Amino acid sequence: MTTTTPAVLTPTDLRGARDALADTAGAVRIRGTGTAAGWAGSPEPAPTVLDTTGLTGVLAYNPADMTVGVRAGTPVRELQEELAGHGQRLAFDAARVARGATVGGLVATADSGPLALGYGSLRDLMIGATTVLADGTVARSGGHVIKNVAGYDLTKLLHGSYGAFGLLAEVVLRLHPIPAAQRSVRLDCPLSTAAERAAAVLGSALEPVALEWADGSLLVRVEGTPEGTEVRARQLAELTRGSVLSEDAAEAAWARHAELVDSPPEDRAVARIGCRPSRLPGLLGDPAGTGGTGGLGTGIGTVTVAPGDVERTHDAVTAAGGTSVLRQRPAGALRAWGQAPSAVRVLTALKDELDPQGRLCPGRFELWFTSGKALS
Amino acid sequence: MLDEAVRQALVSAVGPGNVISDPVGLRSYECDGLTGFRQVPALVVLPLDTQSVAAAVRVCHEHGVPFVARGAGTGLSGGAMPVADGVVISLQRLRRVLDVDPVDRRAVLEPGVTNLDITKAAAPHGLYYAPDPSSQQVCTIGGNVAENSGGAHCLKYGFTTNHVLAMTVVLPDGEIVTLGGDSGEQLGPDLRGVFLGSEGTLGVVCEITVRLLRVPETVRTLLADFPSVPAAGEVVSDIVAAGIVPAAVEMMDNLAIQAAEKAVGAGYTLDTPAALVVELDGPAAECGEQFEQVKEICDRHGCTRLHIAGDAAERAKIWKGRKAAFAAVGRISADYIVQDGVVPRTRLAEVLDRIAEMGDAAGLRVANVFHAGDGNLHPLVLFDADAGELERAEELSKDIAELCVELGGSLSGEHGIGTDKACSMPRMFGVDDLATMDRVRSAFDPRHLCNPGKLLPTPRLCGERPGVYRPHPLEEAGVIERL
Ligand SMILES: Cc1cc2nc3c(=O)[nH]c(=O)nc-3n(C[C@H](O)[C@H](O)[C@H](O)COP(=O)(O)OP(=O)(O)OC[C@H]3O[C@@H](n4cnc5c(N)ncnc54)[C@H](O)[C@@H]3O)c2cc1C
Repeated sequence: MTTTTPAVLTPTDLRGARDALADTAGAVRIRGTGTAAGWAGSPEPAPTVLDTTGLTGVLAYNPADMTVGVRAGTPVRELQEELAGHGQRLAFDAARVARGATVGGLVATADSGPLALGYGSLRDLMIGATTVLADGTVARSGGHVIKNVAGYDLTKLLHGSYGAFGLLAEVVLRLHPIPAAQRSVRLDCPLSTAAERAAAVLGSALEPVALEWADGSLLVRVEGTPEGTEVRARQLAELTRGSVLSEDAAEAAWARHAELVDSPPEDRAVARIGCRPSRLPGLLGDPAGTGGTGGLGTGIGTVTVAPGDVERTHDAVTAAGGTSVLRQRPAGALRAWGQAPSAVRVLTALKDELDPQGRLCPGRFELWFTSGKALS
Repeated sequence: MLDEAVRQALVSAVGPGNVISDPVGLRSYECDGLTGFRQVPALVVLPLDTQSVAAAVRVCHEHGVPFVARGAGTGLSGGAMPVADGVVISLQRLRRVLDVDPVDRRAVLEPGVTNLDITKAAAPHGLYYAPDPSSQQVCTIGGNVAENSGGAHCLKYGFTTNHVLAMTVVLPDGEIVTLGGDSGEQLGPDLRGVFLGSEGTLGVVCEITVRLLRVPETVRTLLADFPSVPAAGEVVSDIVAAGIVPAAVEMMDNLAIQAAEKAVGAGYTLDTPAALVVELDGPAAECGEQFEQVKEICDRHGCTRLHIAGDAAERAKIWKGRKAAFAAVGRISADYIVQDGVVPRTRLAEVLDRIAEMGDAAGLRVANVFHAGDGNLHPLVLFDADAGELERAEELSKDIAELCVELGGSLSGEHGIGTDKACSMPRMFGVDDLATMDRVRSAFDPRHLCNPGKLLPTPRLCGERPGVYRPHPLEEAGVIERL
């Protein structure tokens, strides 16, 4: 294998993105700001790198409709600033947004943060997409309205695709109002206690938007009106036997949560896991893992393990019926994905239909697309 | 006609007691809720479990026989209409609630379970299933998955796709796979989400795991009359602008109000030009606060009567009027067509004006009932078939759906494309968009046996050039581009 430096293409609009794929041959690696470069399987070397960081900017924003169309290379952080000017937001808070992650990168990696409990992930918030396929075909699906069942929902196919099915060029997102107030409650306790109290919170009608274990504490957040959140935060504090945090303390607590997720020690492997919420504490508490965080209502968590424990972590999660994928791979051959999905044959068939030459982002799914044809 | 060997193989796949082949029995499967499209199938099978569904599908696959899955047949786009010489796979005998888990707040269902029965099974635990199509007493969760069905409360809570965690699906070649998983975390691309809303064209769903929500602490509902449709529309805009996300905002115009009131006597004002049903739910304190705000907004826009549901019975009465509106139109017109389209919410007033003009031009009345919060219209085109108005009514109805696309919206918000609107798809999507969808379909169903002829336009159905793509308004404005 040659190790010549790849050609980097940086399109700035849909036409450029189309040309970048239509006018090249061979493998292509799609790259955003690189905040998830080490996630999932290692990308194989490719003669062409398609850099999406030039594909930026809001294309259509009518605040009264609460939807926004953006180029996929737009960093979510910047988008949020623009939306905040209109009292709106994308109800999405994956930790790496703070490092400049792009809309497209966050979609392609199916990332999410604590707010997923209240608002779902980008698969719930993305209502339209324009994709460029490996052969340069430009395909649109969904639209600019929240409610829409016309045609297949191809936005879902891109969510979690790691670039393997196409280049996400433009995305339409559903927005929410910025809540007038938010309050958080914290309880420092062992994981088993946190699990018990979380179950009580979920059994109540207090409607938390986030409910997380963050390495030593239980964190709960409510959003709403100033008075309403005050009442509910107090009720939550009673129910969990925790305390209502001041604004600064709440900000610091959630910042620490994000740091645990996003800045693990470099010599450790990081696994993202998903399972039934009631089984998550068992997996977070696995002695192999430390510094774990996890949504006790969503069943989605992040654990840090020694490279030698990766296999054991995958196996434990699989045995619990869950999913796991690495988000940090220290040197050495580590299996990135836990089990392969049961419909891997459909994924392979889709790959053959949409990218028959296997050009896009080879390696990310390790050996799933076994029928992909060899590249010239 | 079905080859005798194939018929035998299908009978042994599902068991002899689970087949319908007599002409009268077959006729009751010839259409769904869109009764204008009819086709008697060659055979109906009613499997009792996933394995028999898979066995039946395998027989079809091996012999190249087209098949159509069917739930309760309440679909309104001809999605469950059989295919000539094909098989209907009815899921009506797969109707067990397999599990309700109050801890992880989810239920596992067979596809024939009705939408309302999910909530009934969850209720003892203080939980419910959120998507609530008006047809919820009869429509099945399998049909809901296939159509990605919505309901009045989807503005706040989302559609079927936002509530399904995982599914067991029989692929078009008979293989049984799981799509989705125990959490929202995905193993690669979201095939679950691609299957949702695929209108029975990518396989047969045999087991569904749905999320259940905690019943909200409070529900507040009001019915408000307004001097005009635009005034009611402004109320909706102001509610949204105030940062309030209501559980539901439904609007009805005078014709719809008259029909509903005549049918169920829900206490609507017969001569009001427009009425809104607004429902808020959630924690008591906040709900109360925002309810006051909504009342103020109503007043500000000249509300002529404000009726607040005092208890659950009054709330149910208000909703009964709204939910009965479609069928009630039968009281003021011999025949009618239910349309389903979406516009950006800010263009509601404009689309209603245009619909009124188009109705006048066609000499037909149009009643409007709609999910105002998300811009999902259900214009009801009234006509008299005996007076030879059918063709004109169908034309008007189609034009209304296409008008929605022209205004930046969608051909369908919840009823699906099916047979009904397949030929309008090129109005909304370009050639490459549709070709890409067809590639996705081929990946699931290379032999095109699974509900063929639905959703995507075919030359057989639509002629060689079925209408031309018209640019999206944002495209015309130079904001987005198609290459
Ligand atoms: C009075 C009335 C009110 C309605 N109100 C609403 C509403 O408020 N919101 C809304 O969204 N819809 C509404 N509908 C439309 C309809 O009820 C929904 O589309 C519903 O989801 C259809 O369910 P069903 O079981 O009747 O499916 P069917 O009509 O039997 O089938 C619908 C489609 O689903 C496919 N299908 C069915 N079961 C399966 C399966 N197990 N696997 C794969 N594919 C399958 C069929 O092939 C077909 O394409 C209404 C209909 C009526 C008649």
